[in-house]
Amino acid sequence: MNTPILALQAITKSIDPGTHRVDILRGIDLTIERGEFVAIMGASGSGKSTLLGLLAGLDTPTTGLIQLDGDEISRLGEDALAGIRGRKIGFVFQSYQLIPTLTAEENVLLPAELAGETGAELTTRAKALLDTVGLQNRHDHYPVQLSGGEQQRVALARAFMRKPPLLLADEPTGNLDSVNGRQILDLLLSLNRQEGATLVLVTHDRELADCATRIITLRDGVVVSDEKRAAQ
Amino acid sequence: MIAWKMAWREARASAPKFVFVIFGVAAGVGALTGVRGFSSAFFEALKREARTLMAADLTVRQFGDATKPQTQEMDKWIAKGARLSHITETVSMMAREGESPVLVSVKALDPLTYPWYGKVELEPAAPLAQVLNKDTIAISDDLSLRLNLQVGSSVKLGAAEYAVCGVVKMEPDRMTGSLNIGPRVMITREGLERSGLMIYGSRASQRFLFKLPVAPAIDVQQIRDGLKKAFPEAQVVDYRETNPAITRALDRSTTFLSLVSLIALIVGALGVATAIYAHLQQRLDTIAILKCLGARSSQIMGIYTMQTMLLGLTGGLAGVIVGAGVQALFPILLARYFPFQSIPWSPSFALEGIAVGILVTLLFTIPPLLAVRDVKPAMIFRREMPELRARWAMRLRKQLPSILSGALILAGLGGIAGWLAESPQMGAYFIGGLAAALLLLAAIAWLLLRGLKLFVRWSPLRLPMALRHGMANIYRPGNHAPSVLVALGIGVMFTLTIYLVQTTLLQDVAGAAPKGAPNVFLINVTDRDREAVSTFLAQQKDAVVKPRLSSLSPARLVLVNGTPVEKFVLKGFNRRARFTRQVTWVDAKPDDLQLRKGAWWTAADQDKLMSVSESSAEMLKIEPGMTLRWESVGRSFDVKVAAIHRVESVRPGSDDEFLFNRAALQGLPTQWLGTVRLPPPSIAVFQREAYRRFPSVTVINVAEVINIVQDVVDQVSLVVRFISAFAILAGAIILASTVAGTRLRRTRESAVLKTLGARRRLLISIFSVEFAILGLVAGIMGAGLATTFSRLLLIRFLDAKWSFAWAPNLTTIALTTLLAVAAGWLASIRILSQRPLEVLRDE
Repeated sequence: MNTPILALQAITKSIDPGTHRVDILRGIDLTIERGEFVAIMGASGSGKSTLLGLLAGLDTPTTGLIQLDGDEISRLGEDALAGIRGRKIGFVFQSYQLIPTLTAEENVLLPAELAGETGAELTTRAKALLDTVGLQNRHDHYPVQLSGGEQQRVALARAFMRKPPLLLADEPTGNLDSVNGRQILDLLLSLNRQEGATLVLVTHDRELADCATRIITLRDGVVVSDEKRAAQ
Repeated sequence: MIAWKMAWREARASAPKFVFVIFGVAAGVGALTGVRGFSSAFFEALKREARTLMAADLTVRQFGDATKPQTQEMDKWIAKGARLSHITETVSMMAREGESPVLVSVKALDPLTYPWYGKVELEPAAPLAQVLNKDTIAISDDLSLRLNLQVGSSVKLGAAEYAVCGVVKMEPDRMTGSLNIGPRVMITREGLERSGLMIYGSRASQRFLFKLPVAPAIDVQQIRDGLKKAFPEAQVVDYRETNPAITRALDRSTTFLSLVSLIALIVGALGVATAIYAHLQQRLDTIAILKCLGARSSQIMGIYTMQTMLLGLTGGLAGVIVGAGVQALFPILLARYFPFQSIPWSPSFALEGIAVGILVTLLFTIPPLLAVRDVKPAMIFRREMPELRARWAMRLRKQLPSILSGALILAGLGGIAGWLAESPQMGAYFIGGLAAALLLLAAIAWLLLRGLKLFVRWSPLRLPMALRHGMANIYRPGNHAPSVLVALGIGVMFTLTIYLVQTTLLQDVAGAAPKGAPNVFLINVTDRDREAVSTFLAQQKDAVVKPRLSSLSPARLVLVNGTPVEKFVLKGFNRRARFTRQVTWVDAKPDDLQLRKGAWWTAADQDKLMSVSESSAEMLKIEPGMTLRWESVGRSFDVKVAAIHRVESVRPGSDDEFLFNRAALQGLPTQWLGTVRLPPPSIAVFQREAYRRFPSVTVINVAEVINIVQDVVDQVSLVVRFISAFAILAGAIILASTVAGTRLRRTRESAVLKTLGARRRLLISIFSVEFAILGLVAGIMGAGLATTFSRLLLIRFLDAKWSFAWAPNLTTIALTTLLAVAAGWLASIRILSQRPLEVLRDE
């Protein structure tokens, strides 16, 4: 178990919006070990969201190799990637991204359902997770009936549903006020300790990044700094 | 489980969006199940009640009296125990003192024997044999209205007076009878004799109704074969089969209506497909989230396939209810013609309809469902995700599923059409036509968008801002201009084609060749009246075209220079060369005939001579100098071909294929056909006067017949117009749903423009320009195709004249534009009323 959870080699990513070619990532080499809490920082347009997409297997690099938990994922097809995402990655997004037509509990159960898992213990786990994030009385509420902070709690519970080894969070507190943001961050960190996942966080919030054990800073598609620090 | 819940809840939540498309599917399925269910049940009923519908076990029907050998054959079977009831049907004029004469269908029967099966119902109720005698007449209810008749009223038919004994409510063999022109009357055979209408040579149809004895039984096939041999030109039908007179029409209309229903269904399904597309467009986020959470494309497609099936099923179920209503309505409409009690509702057609509804809906949603695969989960981070431009071959490979699904849709629809029409060839034609129209429309739409883009980009003119932005909106990504154009265009094309063909045809008939052709016909003019009628016609001072009186005698071509006509290979319409036709003699060559070969005869010629039209001569290899053998009422005679002619203009009512000299037709039963063209206001006076002088002569006003034709055409076109109007509606729905689908983009753009100082008026102009261009182009395309199609139909298939009609084309284009603007507006109101800050803050 001493393979790194993520290993990136010479990653580039270019897009062509029709008129000219844009190089978003221009050669990134990166290794993330198990149990790390990494914050990726950078100004808007620095390529951090693109990098997160590649780490998550949501997108494929133009050139370069990505290993996730020992598996080469940079050349996999759409469906194989979906399988890996379901198994190994939990997501937390800035704008929650809950399915509006499902209740809180159903949203949490969804990743397991999609993987074809069934059984009463799943429901038990989903309920327990919702209780952990403080939504004891709101299991049957639909997303529109929840506040932003509550929706993000549901998203947290969903992210941990299948005990993924890697948790990716994209500006998880970006849409929340500072009190709610702090609560979400605390929940995220405590859940992460409890479940023992590797946490990769994309943010441009310095305060948030300061909680991490490692801060990687991007500018114009290249890594400009990579500092390891003691956990807070 | 959760996937099901999602599909169900999403479908439920977006139900209002789908209401119209569900209506579309329901209308198609309803029409389909109604038409087919009724047709099949009807067919069963026909079989079950075949005896009642013929009022006999076996009938023989032919034009003209039975010849001696024919009578002998019938007598032979009567001697063996069969019983015969003889019916004569003809048309004549009937009048009541002080009212204009009316053209009626006369049915003369023997009330003691007719009908063998079923019952004639009269009002007031009475057995037919009791009230119908040689001095009475039973009439249809429309006649009692038209001539204001009650029981006991006196009417005149031919030369005799009759007392009305009742109104016919039901006659069993109504649909298997021969003539269905005008109101109907029933008299006894003695009564018909008394009228003086039936003179040797008069035109009438004879029906011989047989009832077979139970013991000793007569073999049906035997009597049928015997009679068929004796009556080669007659229609012989027995109770074991459904009457071909009805079933042929039923089959044809079932096929036609099934295919029209299928078109409605296809348009409905097209609506479902675009609605699903727009729906998926709004669900991109959900799809991306699902993919992030590990869902495979097939799982997501499964969810949306389920939703589609739910829509198809809902539409199908609603359609079955509609169909049951349609089916229940048919017997009520037909109650006057058929004595059916009730027609059972068959669940198999309901299932069939639902299956076809779901299948067609699914076929059409394949392309939007396939697009699910292309949704990139990373779009959660970035909305627009253009990739590096792939190589041509790569792009083609990516298009392969779309191309395959297109082929699948066409094959599937072709299969359904072929199955409905019970002819693979028909299915192929149907789908070929549909595909051609779609491709053509799509190609024009593509060219247009391309041209518009180039124009906006390279135009040296400084276009006003509203115009530039409106035009640019059309070819933006996410704006389904091509599908809007195709859908609207198809609807416009259908409706306008039908309108153009119909009006042209009616004008053509009504105008019946602007000059030269007669508009009043006098039939059943016998030798006795000939001189008087001729003088009467000559007295018509306001006749526009010189009146004519031509002889008509039945004759059948038997041998061409010794070769039997049966030996010639004749196809389709040409086969009529073998049947009895009404031929005429002339002294001098008519002005509109052109002599091609040989020489015309003189009035003094005593040899039997004739002239043959070029086309018939070619078909039967006839040259001047050959001898043709003819047969008429059991007598045969040889005629020498003197000339070959060409007909310059078509003269309705007389047969110009074979013209004889007076000597050739001497002694044959002859009646005369009078033709005259009068100014329309004079026709009524002429009709009354003709009836006063010659009560046995039937005067037919072409305008009246045209009214009957027009009624029928109107009903048919109403159905088709309804369906094609539906196609237009679907086009408008698609436009509206496209606008709704791009609402997010439009909202954002409007907000930005408003923030930058644009007034609502400018935004309104931009949107209006966009919708108007779409409508205008769809209208022009549809009108262009409709004009092309109607020209093709009229000239190629209907032998009619064609001319470009400005008014309907321009009206159509204007209406389509209006409709498009209205539909676009309906979908945009919410966008415009939003305040810029609300929108931009949401970002």
